Amino acid sequence: MFFHYIDLSWRSFKRTPLITILMVSAIAIGIGVTMTSLSVYHMMSMDPMPHKSDKVHAVQLNTRDEGSTWWTEDDLPQQITYQDAVNLYRANVPAVKTPSFRTGYSIHFDDDSIKPFIENIRVTGLPFFEIFDVQFVEGQPWTQEQEDNAEMVTVISRELSEKLFGKESAVGKQVYYDEHLFRVIGVFDNFNHHIKYYDLTNGHFNSHERAFIPFSLTVPLEINNWGNTNGWKYQDIRTFEDKLQSEQHWVQFWSQLDNPQEFQAYQEYLTNYLIEQEEKGRFEREAPSFGTRDLTDYLDYMGVVTEDNRVLVAMSFMFLSVCLANILGLLLGKFLKRVPEVGVRRALGASKRDVFAQHVVEVSMLGLLGGLLGIALAQLGLWGVRTTYSYYSELATMDLTMLFSAPIIAISACILAGLFPAYLVCKTNPAICLKTQ
Amino acid sequence: MLQMKNISKVYQTEKVQTHALRDFDLNVDEGEFIAVTGPSGSGKTTFLNIAGMLESFTAGQYMLDGVDVGSLSDNARADLRNQKIGFIFQGFNLIPDLNLFENVEVPLRYRGIKSSERKERVMHCLEQVGLASRIKHLPQQLSGGQQQRVAIARALAGEPRFLLADEPTGNLDSLMARQVMELLEQINRDGATIIMVTHDPELARRAPRNIQIVDGQIADFTLYQKPTAVPVASVAGA
Repeated sequence: MFFHYIDLSWRSFKRTPLITILMVSAIAIGIGVTMTSLSVYHMMSMDPMPHKSDKVHAVQLNTRDEGSTWWTEDDLPQQITYQDAVNLYRANVPAVKTPSFRTGYSIHFDDDSIKPFIENIRVTGLPFFEIFDVQFVEGQPWTQEQEDNAEMVTVISRELSEKLFGKESAVGKQVYYDEHLFRVIGVFDNFNHHIKYYDLTNGHFNSHERAFIPFSLTVPLEINNWGNTNGWKYQDIRTFEDKLQSEQHWVQFWSQLDNPQEFQAYQEYLTNYLIEQEEKGRFEREAPSFGTRDLTDYLDYMGVVTEDNRVLVAMSFMFLSVCLANILGLLLGKFLKRVPEVGVRRALGASKRDVFAQHVVEVSMLGLLGGLLGIALAQLGLWGVRTTYSYYSELATMDLTMLFSAPIIAISACILAGLFPAYLVCKTNPAICLKTQ
Repeated sequence: MLQMKNISKVYQTEKVQTHALRDFDLNVDEGEFIAVTGPSGSGKTTFLNIAGMLESFTAGQYMLDGVDVGSLSDNARADLRNQKIGFIFQGFNLIPDLNLFENVEVPLRYRGIKSSERKERVMHCLEQVGLASRIKHLPQQLSGGQQQRVAIARALAGEPRFLLADEPTGNLDSLMARQVMELLEQINRDGATIIMVTHDPELARRAPRNIQIVDGQIADFTLYQKPTAVPVASVAGA
C-alpha cells in the first residue's frame, strides 16, 4: 500500500500543482533558513575528538591575588604563566601533558625559489602530537632527546610541505623561520576540524598552524607569543627574561588524563602545586583555585557557540514553524476538499488508519520535496555566509549529518503540520462525506 | 443474513432530537432482492448507511452474517464492510483521478489482495458490465450509465455477499436505468443479496420484495414473488 499511497500522492500533486508548489516552496524556504543556521551551529558545537574529548583537559591556574576578577564565569584565566607552564610540564605526575603557544615567523629559503611569507607557528611539547592525535604522513615528530637538546627541528603540515617543496619529500629539507634555519623532520596531515580546539584564546575558528617547533626553543630563540597576553598586576617587564619570570598569562596547557585515578592524582598535584607557589609569595589566595575542564566542557566554557548562534537557531526554527502554519492551512483546505473521495474509500473498505496513512504519506512526500529544495537553498545561504564573512569560511558548510538531517527535519515538520488535517479527514463520518459527493 | 432488531437512530443537536429510525426491525435472507421505498426524509438512506456500517446506530442490535456489528471497532467494521458489502451510489462516486481499472481495484487494494489476482478480478468484473475495453478511461470520459456500470463492477470486485444500492438509477435516463436494473437482477440471480433504495415505483416493483419506510419505521411489506433460494456463491467469480 505504501507505494500505492506514493502514487496517489503524486497524482494529488499533479491535480493541484499551484498549491503543491506553494507548499513545497514554503517548506523549502523554512528548511533552507533553518539548515543554514543549524549547519553553522552544528559545525561550531561539534566535538572535535569524540573518542577522547573526556580525557583531554585544559589546565587553568588562578595564580592571582584573591579578589582579582577575570571575565570568565569562574574568574579563572584561560592561560597560564610561562614559569607555571614549565613547572607543570616537568612535573612528575602520571599524565600526558604539554604547554603550547602560538608564534610566527617569516618563512623563506636561502634562495629566491619562493617568496617569503609570514606564517603562524605553534611552539609546543612532544606530547602535543599524542594528546591531539596528530597524524603524520611522512617522517615523525621530534624525539624527546631532540626537544631536550633544543634542536632546530620542525614538523610542517602537508599543505605547507606542498607549498614549500611541491611533490618532493619535505623530510630532511631545510627552511628558514626568520633567520633561524630549521630541519624538517616530519609532515603531518592537515587538521580537518574547523574549530581550533587546542588554542581557543586566539580566535575559535582561526586557521590551524601549519608548522610546529619544540617548546624548549622558547628560551634560546627568545620566542614571543603571537596572541593574547594577560596580566593582573603591574610588573616592569623590559627583557624577554622578565617576561618569562613574570605573572603574565600567555601559555596554554593541556593534560591527557586517561582514567579517574590519573585525574584524581592530577587534581591533588595541582592543589599542592598552587599551595607551594603561594608560599613562595607569588599571590595570596584563601584556597587554591584551578580548572581542569575536559575538551567539550572547555569549548562550552570558552563560548565557542555563542548565545547569538543559539538565538539564531531558535529564530530559524520559529521561522520554520511559521512556514508550517502556512502549510497547515493549505493542507487543511486541500484535504477537506477531498472529503467526498475519502467517504467513497471508507465505504469501499478503507479504515481510518488507511486514510490517515495515505495522507501522512502525502505530507511526507511534500516534506521530502521541500527538504531537497531546502538543501539547495541552505547551500545558497551557506555560500552567502562564506562569502560575506571569511571568518566563517570553514564553518558555513553542510556536513553529511546535516545533509541527511535536512529531509528528515522537513518530513517530520510536514507530518507535524499534516497531522491535524489528516485527523480531521479521518474523523469525518463517511456517510456525510458521501452525501456531499 | 441481515438482522436488525429495534434499531434506532437519533440525530441530536443542542435543541432538536431527530429520530431517523425508530424500533426498526428487519430480517433479510440470503439471495433476496429488496427494494426500499418511502418519501424523502423517511430514513431510507439512514437505514442503508447503518446496514453498510457507514453510520452507527443509537440503540438496537444489528447482526450481519452472524457478526454483532454494534460490538465492532471502526477498523473491524471497515474490514467487514470490505469483505461483505458492495456499495452502489446514485452519484456513482467514482474517484476522478483513477481510471476505470484503478477505480474497480480500490476495494481489492484495501483487502490486501496481490496484484495478479486483483488484475484478474478487475478485468472479470469490467467484462461483466461490458467495459473491459475501456480500462484506461477516466470516469469523466464515460456516460452516466457507463459510470454506474463501473460503480457496479467496483461493488462486485470484492465478491460481496451484500450489495447496497442507493438510488442506483436516480441519475440515469430510462434506457440506462433499465440496463442497470437488468444488470442488478442478473447479479442477484448469480447469488448476491441486494438492498436497493429507490424512488421509482416501476423499478421497485421489479424487486421480489418491497419495503416502505415511513417516519423511520417499516410501514409496509410487499412480496411480489418469493425470493429464489440461491446458494451463496462468488458473484464476480460466478
